[in-house]
Amino acid sequence: MNLETLVRRALKDIRQHMAMYALTTMVVTLSILIFLFFSLIYVNLHHFASRFGTQLGVVVYLKEGINEELIPKIYNELLAINGVKNVVYISQEEAFKRLERYLGDEKMVLEGVDATFLPDSFEVKVEKALFQPERLRVIADKIKKIEGVDKVQYGREWVQRLEVFTGIARNVVVASGILLLFTAAFVVSITIRLNVYARQEELEILRLVGATNGFIEGPFLMEAMLQGLLGAGIAIVLLYASYLNVSSGLLMPGFIKGLKLVFLPWELVVLVVGLSMVLCLLGTHFSMRKFLRS
Amino acid sequence: MIERDDGIPIITLASVTKRYPHDIVALDDITLSLEKGEFCFLTGPSGSGKSTLLKLLYFAEQPTSGDIFIEGINIKTIKEAHKPIFRRKIGVVFQDFKLLQDRNVFDNVALALEVVGFSHDQIAYRVNKVLESLGLGGKGRRFPQELSGGEQQRVAIARAIVNRPPIILADEPTGNLDSVRTMEVLDIMDELNARGTTILFATHDERLFEGTRRRVVRLRDGRMEVGY
Ligand SMILES: Nc1ncnc2c1ncn2[C@@H]1O[C@H](COP(=O)(O)OP(=O)(O)OP(=O)(O)O)[C@@H](O)[C@H]1O
Ligand SMILES: [Mg+2]
Repeated sequence: MNLETLVRRALKDIRQHMAMYALTTMVVTLSILIFLFFSLIYVNLHHFASRFGTQLGVVVYLKEGINEELIPKIYNELLAINGVKNVVYISQEEAFKRLERYLGDEKMVLEGVDATFLPDSFEVKVEKALFQPERLRVIADKIKKIEGVDKVQYGREWVQRLEVFTGIARNVVVASGILLLFTAAFVVSITIRLNVYARQEELEILRLVGATNGFIEGPFLMEAMLQGLLGAGIAIVLLYASYLNVSSGLLMPGFIKGLKLVFLPWELVVLVVGLSMVLCLLGTHFSMRKFLRS
Repeated sequence: MIERDDGIPIITLASVTKRYPHDIVALDDITLSLEKGEFCFLTGPSGSGKSTLLKLLYFAEQPTSGDIFIEGINIKTIKEAHKPIFRRKIGVVFQDFKLLQDRNVFDNVALALEVVGFSHDQIAYRVNKVLESLGLGGKGRRFPQELSGGEQQRVAIARAIVNRPPIILADEPTGNLDSVRTMEVLDIMDELNARGTTILFATHDERLFEGTRRRVVRLRDGRMEVGY
């Protein structure tokens, strides 16, 4: 059987069972839409948090009166730690300048104060710290052991809260994702099975005239693939439309002004479309296999 | 189709028994052979196992014990994947026609060729020819419910013979037809048989084979009464 015949048969089939097909496709669309909606929320939380989380890192204070020669060595040791993104040395003078800047108009309080009252320090940025806050702790513990290091600071409390929060958010997304995947697979395969039962006579006749399982299954699989594609496609278009709607209509309050909503990464979009197609294919294949076993 | 006459029976049942669940013995130790080109009636009262015997031959059921040979091949040895292809050697006709109501006459017949993988043109040529030969020329665009019972049965026969199978199994094909249509169907079968097709014709209507010289196999409660 060539591809042209297959496509022709599949299209004819769809036309003849339009209502059923539309219904099944809608079920696929809704399931995927719900899943994507959760993902979108998660992705935006992620995005939001990483914008504000760039400050997140570890501050390493060096011992007072430390030997200048040790500083490059500590720098290299810090950089060598797994998960460290970059390290910036803050000299006593630099720290002082920052403090002045921070105080702004009130910087006169610092007049006559010696810059050396502030210790030398390093700012260590940690990769993906926001989403794996536990890393901060691990890295801080390692840094403490370096010679010449006096104190290590990181927003411990905040990090702990963040840990809980991102953990929950991730679990919710993953759990709802898995649940929805199963629901979708289940509902789709039930719908398909009903469809197959409704057409039992046709399948019986096909078998009678010597159709191979492949010939019988071919159009069904084709339809299923198209269904997965359509279902996921429609869900993504709907989600994108509402995303555009919301993000253009959303007037951000002052402090997060300029913070834009982001859409799902294209990799996830492609993955969802692919998965949807595979799911529909498998659902159809397994509900037909029962029937095709003579 | 190349006709070989190598003396091997085209259909052989060797001690075939078919038991359905709940200990229903539909066929009990049937041994039977059909030569190539034979026209054989299969008769017996309702429930005697006629349909079951045919079902075994077109792979709709499997025997509980015993062996079935078609063209000398034990069908037990045919791989599952090859069964559909082997089934194409056998055209089947039923009492209730089994036509697809949402396809027209042409498409119903074409189905048997689509399955085999004939091209568009070949299908059109062959289907039109077979419809013509069965007196259905010009009815290709009609749907089954727009035809009389006799016409519907001829469509079903057209579908069964369009890819020229060497064997035709008919299960009470005249059960729903009046005597004129019944004779038409018998004539079609005679003609097919004259061209070398082996025919196994199940019916409980004694009149169909009264006075013929054709072989008649009688079943009763799953056993053969008369055989040779
Ligand atoms: N799928 C089945 N499951 C269980 N028993 C069955 C099944 N099909 C047939 N039988 C039984 O097997 C026996 C033979 O049935 P079969 O249909 O072969 O008879 P038949 O000779 O074709 O009858 P009829 O003339 O009424 O068509 C009957 O007792 C019937 O009840
Ligand atoms: Mg019967």
